[in-house]
Amino acid sequence: MNGEPVVYFEDVKVGDEYVSPGRTVTEADIVVFAGLSGDYNVLHTDAEHMKASLFGERIAHGLLGLSIQQGLLDRVVPGQSVGPLAGVKWKFKGPIKIGDTIHVEARVTGKKDGDAPAAGVVTLARRVLNQRGEVVQEGETDHVVARRPA
Amino acid sequence: MAGQPAERRVYFEDVQMHAPLETPAMTLTETHTALFGSLTLSRPADPAAIPDLIPLCLSSGLGWRVPQPPLVVLAFMGFEWRFHHPTRVGDTIRSVSTTVAKRSLKEGGVVIEERSILNQRNEVVQSGRLTLLVAKRPVA
Repeated sequence: MNGEPVVYFEDVKVGDEYVSPGRTVTEADIVVFAGLSGDYNVLHTDAEHMKASLFGERIAHGLLGLSIQQGLLDRVVPGQSVGPLAGVKWKFKGPIKIGDTIHVEARVTGKKDGDAPAAGVVTLARRVLNQRGEVVQEGETDHVVARRPA
Repeated sequence: MAGQPAERRVYFEDVQMHAPLETPAMTLTETHTALFGSLTLSRPADPAAIPDLIPLCLSSGLGWRVPQPPLVVLAFMGFEWRFHHPTRVGDTIRSVSTTVAKRSLKEGGVVIEERSILNQRNEVVQSGRLTLLVAKRPVA
């Protein structure tokens, strides 16, 4: 991609770690995501209702946080070492509120054969942390990564 | 909720097990990719490729457009998801959801939903299980 060195399955090592830059989640992010996804749940769109809720204010859609961390991690992984997503196992541990700054930390925890012989599957464990170091989301993602051509 | 219209809602007690709900469909466009890219600060190398997470994100909104009132979701707790086939600009997706488990808690209850996203050829492009915390019906 754009002259970046291509990273093949063989180049990815279990234990490799990536830390993304931070990103402040804004009200605009939530409004745009509500419009894009069509998810207008009061959790994300009704400030008055949410004053009386467990969270005290609007929170970001869980899938917005997931999408933002994906974009953040893409900025720090070299080449194509994180290929297309094959699977996700994910937990939403705490709210992301307007003004929170999140980043993602990821570690390669597994490598295995894929369905096709030309690619393998790389597993990343990811944690999304806020500005207080609290884990707000965490999980595992599987990625299809091409093997080095023979 | 003084002063608010009494909207119909589906509470934990109302959730039907094993009753599939199919959403309306939506055609995936370059505009979806552009809006998503503005949120995630990313752009696919192939402009006709739809980023993997878009169908999943759209399925949550499509779920609001089924012929039943919205579920009172207090929190999205987690999910497991598989990506079977990529989607492209011009593909038309819809989703089918079925509740496969319910567990009552002191405050609310946990609902586990199986969801498949299908394309215009009825191929399952993505599927998985979502775990939701749902409110119980308020005591009058």
